[in-house]
Amino acid sequence: MDNPGIGTRPGGSLAVCCERVSFSYPGSERPALSGISLELRRGEYVGVVGPNGGGKSTLVRLLNGLLRPDSGRIRVSGHDPATEPFEVRRHLGVLFQNPENGLVAPFVEDDVAFGLENLGVPREEMRERVAGAIRAVGLEGYERREPHTLSGGEKQRVALAGLLAVEPEILVLDEPTSMLDAAGRGEILGRLEALRAQKTILHVTHHLEELIHADRILVFNGGELVANESPERLFSDAGLLRENRLVLPVVPRLALGLGLPATLGTPEDLAEAILAGARAG
Amino acid sequence: MRLELRDVHHVYARGTPFQVEALRGVSLVVEQGEVLGIVGGTGSGKSTLVRHMNLLLAPTSGEVIVDGVDATTLGKSGLRRRVGLVFQFPEAALFAPTVEEDVAFAPRRLGLEEAEVRERVSETLRSLGVGDLAGRSPFALSGGEKRRVAIAGVLAMGPEVLVLDEPTAGLDPASREELLDLIRNLREAGVSVVLVSHDLDEVAEVADRVCALHEGRVRAVGTPAEVFYSDPAQAPATVRVASLVNESRPGIGEPVRLDETLGALRALPGV
Repeated sequence: MDNPGIGTRPGGSLAVCCERVSFSYPGSERPALSGISLELRRGEYVGVVGPNGGGKSTLVRLLNGLLRPDSGRIRVSGHDPATEPFEVRRHLGVLFQNPENGLVAPFVEDDVAFGLENLGVPREEMRERVAGAIRAVGLEGYERREPHTLSGGEKQRVALAGLLAVEPEILVLDEPTSMLDAAGRGEILGRLEALRAQKTILHVTHHLEELIHADRILVFNGGELVANESPERLFSDAGLLRENRLVLPVVPRLALGLGLPATLGTPEDLAEAILAGARAG
Repeated sequence: MRLELRDVHHVYARGTPFQVEALRGVSLVVEQGEVLGIVGGTGSGKSTLVRHMNLLLAPTSGEVIVDGVDATTLGKSGLRRRVGLVFQFPEAALFAPTVEEDVAFAPRRLGLEEAEVRERVSETLRSLGVGDLAGRSPFALSGGEKRRVAIAGVLAMGPEVLVLDEPTAGLDPASREELLDLIRNLREAGVSVVLVSHDLDEVAEVADRVCALHEGRVRAVGTPAEVFYSDPAQAPATVRVASLVNESRPGIGEPVRLDETLGALRALPGV
């Protein structure tokens, strides 16, 4: 950290700053995170991958103040999540894995408003922010639907709208698609892509294909930050992938097998590259 | 064992305002020693369907037939020993102080000799590659290890059909691959495996046949190539790539598995 003060200033260029952060769960022999230093600049889209038990979810819980570090320092938009968790949660919203656990209210619009109700937002503004958040996730017309009648992808979009209504500048996504089918997954990923210009995003996932357009990818293993690479570099580094129990998705594996770049993410991109090659040959 | 479902309907909360018809006449066979993939979107009826395979749910109408015999006449405990069901996130049900005790729980309830129970437990753990974990607390394991221990608890009963409901959800990619290897090993050993998954790429790699459900009905059933090429929009990445290539350059066939697809694409002139 060249300038340790920079992350402490609200409005500075760093959204998140961790310095030598360590954490152990009570009764556990080895630390869940040891000596992690990382920075997220405003507007970045950063992926987080690594094996089960590598420290990914611990990082998420430290960032929003559910856990306190044993040592080291965390700043989220200039605030310390350990001592100012409520302030931090205005700036940083977390979308968790299972949408079932997060939905509480009888109707979609009440659910989306739930987080705002705790912030003392005036009624009229609240109405506007809820409507805006529902629009941002493409659920207009669902305001009076009951959450339990929705599909998994729709429920996860309701949960995302609830986060957006609070207007955090940082979104943390903890395996947001792992409970969803292909259609639901596409819905969530499409919404995230649309948000990336306006938010700083930290996206934890087991599915490398979701990170093909990320600015960079952090690899956690055994509680340590073992790599911080662009998707191009990570996808092409077979050794690094293997050491961290990462497996390339099907499309990049096919691409590499055909001598094409590993960053061809979609079947459409790959088919086009294959046909272009076949024409040229 | 040959397990057959004939025209199974299932209605939840019948006669109430919350009535939902989850299965609308499903007929399906699980053949001895095959891996049958069951795919379909959220709410298509996958989990409801597999709960009928050991009569955890009784059909509202229709029949479940085991080797030609009506399953309801077989007795539930016998049936559940022969058809093992592993639910989504099965590690939530781990409870014993050690892995060994946890896996021994069900076989012990079968009234087997203690020596036989121990033998089965250690053999099952070994076959799952977690033999060294026997003395550990299940709660101190990683996600992938916990999942395998939970599956061991069902496998130790020695089922003829193993039903796995979303067994790889939330696992890291390497643990996912290991679980697919386990499924292949079970097939080698003559156990039928029913794999429910929303990950079409993994179904493509291991399934002998695929059943696609849609709104409680069978949309398609057959070989992976037959089912996935009938609707390439809802197919694994391999099939989507091959279909797109086929549109302009026909003649690469209908590959499904990754190695088949790579072989077919490499054979294209100019690639």
